[in-house]
Amino acid sequence: MRNKRYMAKVAAFCFILPALLVAVLLLLYPVLSSIFYSLTSKHLIKADYDFVGLKNYIDVLSDPSFWKSFWINIKWTVVSLVGQILVGFTAALALERIKHCKSFFRTVLIIPWAFPTIVIALSWKWILNGVSGFLPNFLVSIGLFEKAPQFLSSGELVFPTLVFINIWFGAPLIMVNVLSALQTVPKDQYEAAQIDGASPLQSFIHITVPHIRMVVGLLVVLRTIWIFNSFDIIYLITGGGPAELTQTVPIYAYNVGWGLKMLGRSSAVTVLLLVFLLIVCFMYFKLLDKWEKEGTA
Amino acid sequence: MKRMKKYLSILLATLMALGLLTGCGPANETTSTPPDDSSAAPATEPGSETTELEGEITFWHSFTQGPRLETIQAAADQFMADNPGVKINIETFSWADFYTKWTTGLASGNVPDMSSALPTQVVEMIDADAILPLDDLIDRIGRDKFYEKALVEMTAEDGHCYGVTLYSNTEAMWYRKDLMEKYDLEIPETWDELYECAKIITEGENGEVYGAAFPMGANDMLATRWLHLYVRSAGETLITEDGKANLTSPTAIDGINYWVKVYQDCSPADSINYNTLDEATMYYQGKLAFDFNTGFHISGVQENSPDLMEYIDCAPIPRVNEGDPAVGCETNNTPLVIWKNSEHPEICEAFIEYFYEPERYVDFLLSVPVGMMPAIQGVTDNEKYQSNEIVQQFQHADEVLNQMLPGSTAIGMEYGPRPEAGLLTSQHVIEEMFQDIILNGTPVEEAAKAAEDELNDLFETVG
Repeated sequence: MRNKRYMAKVAAFCFILPALLVAVLLLLYPVLSSIFYSLTSKHLIKADYDFVGLKNYIDVLSDPSFWKSFWINIKWTVVSLVGQILVGFTAALALERIKHCKSFFRTVLIIPWAFPTIVIALSWKWILNGVSGFLPNFLVSIGLFEKAPQFLSSGELVFPTLVFINIWFGAPLIMVNVLSALQTVPKDQYEAAQIDGASPLQSFIHITVPHIRMVVGLLVVLRTIWIFNSFDIIYLITGGGPAELTQTVPIYAYNVGWGLKMLGRSSAVTVLLLVFLLIVCFMYFKLLDKWEKEGTA
Repeated sequence: MKRMKKYLSILLATLMALGLLTGCGPANETTSTPPDDSSAAPATEPGSETTELEGEITFWHSFTQGPRLETIQAAADQFMADNPGVKINIETFSWADFYTKWTTGLASGNVPDMSSALPTQVVEMIDADAILPLDDLIDRIGRDKFYEKALVEMTAEDGHCYGVTLYSNTEAMWYRKDLMEKYDLEIPETWDELYECAKIITEGENGEVYGAAFPMGANDMLATRWLHLYVRSAGETLITEDGKANLTSPTAIDGINYWVKVYQDCSPADSINYNTLDEATMYYQGKLAFDFNTGFHISGVQENSPDLMEYIDCAPIPRVNEGDPAVGCETNNTPLVIWKNSEHPEICEAFIEYFYEPERYVDFLLSVPVGMMPAIQGVTDNEKYQSNEIVQQFQHADEVLNQMLPGSTAIGMEYGPRPEAGLLTSQHVIEEMFQDIILNGTPVEEAAKAAEDELNDLFETVG
């Protein structure tokens, strides 16, 4: 009996081994090489390089442009995440209530998530173009503005505009996941609460939230990493400008690695980002662990 | 089970975070040793009639538009028909993709046998010891036929020339004849006159057409180009002879002030983010009265707004003072290079020589008439070239462009090829300087000094 169990475990391990090997090789090699090159003077196109110790880290951490990008990145992540959760959550709750055409609305609302980023970026760039863009000219034509608002070139508007696009783009994913989680909440608990005289808000706080918070928590972890690392949408719409107002750390790392060709320094930036994100993930998981314990208690 | 799920979640999140680093690993560590000089030399004499060529080569180029691509493919097909032992694989990339491909491919030896390149890239390729000298090939085609400046740009400190110019294009001032007529304006000859004309048109057209659009997108180099035009028209350069950035000379400061004024009074606000395509699209759509570009503007307008063809023309780059001589400011010489990793440099040389024969070369130039200016002199005297409809329609533009050609170079290459020139145009320091002045209100002198210092720091990384 024991032997059988052992063999079953070995067989299971054999089945997952290929996938595990691929994951380890695909991730471990670049990670280790990035850590290694962050300690060297590696240049993108030159073969020779020297070991420079922590010089790249010191250079990066003493560069004001890095810190500026880091704070923009934090703002970008927090505001986008909160916005995506609020919009996604609200949309999911609304969809949960809808009786007719639910799948139609669900499909319509998922559209932003279904398009490739480049299509979304170029479409928004076209819609917001300060001369011929639809939106600025529409706002002028209905009398809201005297002059076409410069969504992508005004120092005040460019960051909120990008965040808005990111919320529009990311909220559907939250919506779909929260909607799935909502469908797992036992309906009899709502009925019991209603009999006990609980208000809709009380039902939401004491029944809905505890049931879906693990799902939302994991979504927050995933979205934090994705939003923090997002590069394409910002790069394609503003390139990090104007005047570095939308330059996040991934764009900074790209400019250092591919613009200046200082691959060593660029690797140091990404290693620092990794450390930061691991700390954030650790904190999130501590919180999730606490919730889980509360749930089982 | 729950604990297991939690650990799995942690593992997945960690793997995702680790994924961050995957973009920064080098493409491949294995560096192929470049062949030494003796092995790099052509194995056979390409000009020799008796030598039979045999082998396969890969040719990367960035001529993505249909007609250019077709003429190159046709030449390659004919060359393969004439040399049955030869196979030429042509791969086409945009300039941006090409740069990524060769910079990442160099470390792993994944570069082509021959390719097109930009002048600043040639300097980087020479610096990385990646390409072969082509002096023998140039001598066989006829060194005297090439414009001297074009060859100087491809000549390294060792005295060897590493690129054969395929074509040139020179910057000129493009304008709309109908708008000049509508507002009864003379073609501007000085920068001040240009500003006045642009302002009148901008005010008169009330947002339908702008006088100019000063482009400052930080993912392009147009603000550097426009400042360079101003500075060069006064006989100065953005990189001094001793390789230092020059943004704080009185002329450079005047130039910065000038373009800020043009932006504020004559440009759409959005042009703070414009790149080459945005700027050109504005002109093609008929929304710009003045623009700076090469003869490629003709094919752009023809493709996008054929109705505008009769209204466009170009004039020499304005000057700082009335009466100053009209000088050429910027010419881009696009060369072909042969990579050191090539196993068949003799086939590459033979194909290039074959391509420069008038019947093929003229066809290539006519794939973008007036846009691509010949790299070798005398070839446009050809009847086929002269009878082309676009060449005839834009005879004046052709004359202006040819007038601008002698003496002008790529930006920053006025004193010969240097890696600093690549940094000047690729790091977008000047674009960010302008954005800083306009958006943050930083005083011009202060922003110029900061940008100059930043550029000089960057220059030290390649000095």
